Amino acid sequence: MTGYLLRRTGQSVVVLAGVSVIVFALVHLVPGDPVRLALGTRFDQETYDALRARAGLDQPLAEQFLGWSGRALTGDLGVSFRSGETVTSLIAERLPATLTLAFASILVALLIAVPLGTLSALHPRSVVDRVATVLSQIGISVPDFWMAIVLILVFAGTLGWLPSGGYVPLTEDPVGWLERLVMPALVVGVVSGSVITRFVRSSVLEARGADHVRTAQAKGLPSRHVFGWHVLRNALLPLVTVTGVQLAYLLSGVVVVEIVFAWPGLGQLALQAVQARDYPVLQGAILLFALVFLVINLVVDLLYTAIDPRIRR
Amino acid sequence: MRSNRLLPLLAAGALVLSACGGGESVDTGGGGGGGGGGGDNVLVAAVAAQPDQFDPHVTTAYPSFQVLENVYDTLVVPNPEDLTMEPSLATEWETSEDGLTWTFTLRDGVTFHDGSEFDSADVVYSYRRIIDEELSNAYRFANVTAVEAPDPQTVVLRLSQPTPNLLERIGSFKGMAILPDGAADQVDLTTEAVGTGPFRLESSDASSTVLTAYEDHWGGAPSVDGVEFRYITEPAAALTALQNGEVQWTDNIPPQQIESLEGDDSIELQTTPSVDYWYMSMNYERPPFDNRDVRRAISFAVDRAAVAEAAWFGAAQPNQTAIPQDSFFYSDYAPFDRDPDQARQLLAQAGVQTPLTMGLMVTDEFPETVTAAQVVASQLEEVGITVEIETLDFATWLDRQGQGDFDAFLLGWLGNLDPAAYYQEQHVTGGSNNYQGYSNPEVDALLQQGATATDDAARKQAYDQAAQLIVDDVSYLYLYNPDVVQAWAPGLAGYQIRADKAINFETVELP
Repeated sequence: MTGYLLRRTGQSVVVLAGVSVIVFALVHLVPGDPVRLALGTRFDQETYDALRARAGLDQPLAEQFLGWSGRALTGDLGVSFRSGETVTSLIAERLPATLTLAFASILVALLIAVPLGTLSALHPRSVVDRVATVLSQIGISVPDFWMAIVLILVFAGTLGWLPSGGYVPLTEDPVGWLERLVMPALVVGVVSGSVITRFVRSSVLEARGADHVRTAQAKGLPSRHVFGWHVLRNALLPLVTVTGVQLAYLLSGVVVVEIVFAWPGLGQLALQAVQARDYPVLQGAILLFALVFLVINLVVDLLYTAIDPRIRR
Repeated sequence: MRSNRLLPLLAAGALVLSACGGGESVDTGGGGGGGGGGGDNVLVAAVAAQPDQFDPHVTTAYPSFQVLENVYDTLVVPNPEDLTMEPSLATEWETSEDGLTWTFTLRDGVTFHDGSEFDSADVVYSYRRIIDEELSNAYRFANVTAVEAPDPQTVVLRLSQPTPNLLERIGSFKGMAILPDGAADQVDLTTEAVGTGPFRLESSDASSTVLTAYEDHWGGAPSVDGVEFRYITEPAAALTALQNGEVQWTDNIPPQQIESLEGDDSIELQTTPSVDYWYMSMNYERPPFDNRDVRRAISFAVDRAAVAEAAWFGAAQPNQTAIPQDSFFYSDYAPFDRDPDQARQLLAQAGVQTPLTMGLMVTDEFPETVTAAQVVASQLEEVGITVEIETLDFATWLDRQGQGDFDAFLLGWLGNLDPAAYYQEQHVTGGSNNYQGYSNPEVDALLQQGATATDDAARKQAYDQAAQLIVDDVSYLYLYNPDVVQAWAPGLAGYQIRADKAINFETVELP
């Protein structure tokens, strides 16, 4: 097990190094000049040259990369062109909000997907199944920004039950935290949940049709036992995979929902960095997202081995 | 949808554009407390975007200046009524006979937020910092050859040529703020502020910026205990937050709702014509747009009122020149009434084969340019010009503009106070913002005359004549001046909406 972990961690480091090269190259290849964006349209050439030099953009690209990656190894991701703050502090400032929303949304998604998907699979082509299919279709196709604005207009506007948006830390104001979390988590959770529902349905259906389940039923095992032990456990593998992918995706920020609900997450930070061509922030954010995917993949693989011991070899 | 969501970010982009713009409104994101905002006597303002940073000499972003307007002071400041310059940290000034030496007398009894006394060394330090470090606004000191402090109450600026708009150069917005001597070495100006303004910068995070009243402010302590700028990017959410009392002020109003909100008792909505203008410009290097008749044909084909209506739902004034109607420098020159027949005739006269294809470069950073381009395209279609609209992100857009890689583009100039800001660099031969490549010696002479004449009437005459030539030659095809649109809680007193979009909460009182 330790060997497996070490090997996987080693692989992740190699992937991360590769990602950093690609990210650096891509970010610098995108057209657009961060210095011009920072200065606007009224400035003189001396100002332009001075800012370019201060940002280190007058150095050859290879030199810039070596400097950046060397510092990144020590945990120093550089300083934002736009705000003058360190990239690590900008990310750290937004991380709690992103973690909160991602985990709350996944919770909502699973609370929707597992019962709904299972029910559909247990009664295929029944009314329940059809309703579930239509609902998940709606969840996937309704644009999230639209759902978000409707929720704001109804629950913050007409009914006045919830604040229209924003974020407060749990430690400062638990009630305010929850009030502000409800709507964004619902919007993101419904979208993710709709995707996951379909996976749950198909994997439960598949597991139900498996030979060993038929054998178990033929042996006369109680259906509760058959379902719990033989169906659900086998259906869990794809569910863990898709949930992991969804979570990794949510952890890299949900731009639209963050903007509509004024939720200070990483998605907004990354979007602003793209628009300002703020290379250090963009590189730092993408590197973090890559890291999140690697870690979650690793966790998912470890969960596999717990659910299905045969994979351990 | 994309444009909706990007609106706040666009505002940030606009900052970029408005290096010389007025201080604008700011938002603070959450952070503090529950639904109702900061505290009993704290104003909560919903602004569209987060400030990028707080160094007034470095940032060019409007969301930053929305905050900084309340934290820093300049030597002189635009009057809220007509934007003429009036005393602030300087109480009076005189100009030498030759116009080359300006002597400012500084206000007595002013202290910075750290308790230190304000004097002439602070002015010299602040101006030298901008000049020596080549910071964003260094261009405003292009004519300044020396900044001197003969005594603690006096500052002298020496100039290379008469500069009638010097006060506008040093006072139009808080980008020319006065910092205490040596400030940059003592505090991190990107996140902290030491000003002389009515509020101190208390804190700022990813959801809001919080200011607290500075009791020892030279103009008296502000009426509220503080201001929280909350960043709410989505206009519909900002409006809802205002209507249900979470915030008491916002400048983030969905344009399409302005009309319906005017009769709404739950909020107080006000508009005033801004000093911004939006325009279209064609590339003189790309035939047939080098042909004056072709440009004039296009100018005759565009219905400015329809463009303004589509982009701003009525909250914009069509204008054939740059300067808005309320300004002393306004020119009522308007030779281009929409006339498709004359447009077709001019195109024929120029020997242009129709249909002619014209690329029109716009950016989703400013969604109104996308809307305006669609209207322009349908109007030009009628006279045989097929417009291919290219919607780019702002970074790419600026690249292409800089490289001269365009047939035509649409954009705006924001926060202009002096006619030189409206016309000089955009139209003078080889001007730094003359991307279209216009060159007319007569215009050059008039612009130089306007830039150096010391008498307002003479300046107005020079700029009026220059504007006529610019309009006739279609160096810019001027479209409209949008309104400033802001809304607040009924009963909020002491707030004044301003044409330069500076947001000042010094005298505001909560309902």
